[in-house]
Amino acid sequence: MSLYRIQIDRSLCSGFGACAEVAPRLIQLDRSGNAELRVGETDDQAAIEAAFSCPMGAITVFEAATGRQAA
Amino acid sequence: MTHDPTFWLLARSSGFTAYVLLTLSVLAGLLLKSRPFGTAIKAAWLTGLHRTLALAGIGALAGHAAALVLDTTVKVSPLGLLIPGIVGYRPLATSLGVLAAELMVIVYASFSLRKRIGARNWRRLHWATYGIFAAATAHGLAAGTDTSRPWALALYLGAVGAVAAATAWRVLVPPLPARPPRTPRLTGEPA
Repeated sequence: MSLYRIQIDRSLCSGFGACAEVAPRLIQLDRSGNAELRVGETDDQAAIEAAFSCPMGAITVFEAATGRQAA
Repeated sequence: MTHDPTFWLLARSSGFTAYVLLTLSVLAGLLLKSRPFGTAIKAAWLTGLHRTLALAGIGALAGHAAALVLDTTVKVSPLGLLIPGIVGYRPLATSLGVLAAELMVIVYASFSLRKRIGARNWRRLHWATYGIFAAATAHGLAAGTDTSRPWALALYLGAVGAVAAATAWRVLVPPLPARPPRTPRLTGEPA
């Protein structure tokens, strides 16, 4: 099991693109410019950075083992 | 008895403070979307700055409103702070100030309600910021008693110029493309 589970609230995403910049391995922009996950779970700390970078607060990161919100 | 100028000085200085903070918040918001400095400025930091400046601007607005009610130079009632057109002094200019202040509070509060109203509506509402900035500028120029002073004119000119330049950048320069993910090159693959 990986450390983190990432969740994107796509209804909130406004296509700022900051998440795909800080975590290109985890998140990409789709054709309409909105964020979509490349992986659901990861050990990469960039997941936390991506959550912090989102101006809309659309990205939430949970600890996969406990389900506790990490960012 | 001489007139105590304390609240009049506070009213004017807090008005300018609110205007400068609003301008800086608008600039931070514009930079957040157009990212002219690339990744040199972190989006999370810029987002925090954008929201903090807006909140500080609303705080300065509250000070501006309170000082105007407490001062006797211009007669402003508490109701006049909420309903445009009630203040007798330069009614059009003061009404613009009231509307700009109310819209600023609504736009700020909308961030907390973005889940309920949806990102699209939140973004539409954010367009009102251009109107808020224009109304605040007109309010300051037309209602402010310091407008004829060179430093005040320079401040308004600088603010409008900076927001116009940042808006032009946003419209004309395409936003920073997100870096494609680096995939490891397979051995033997031609370079």
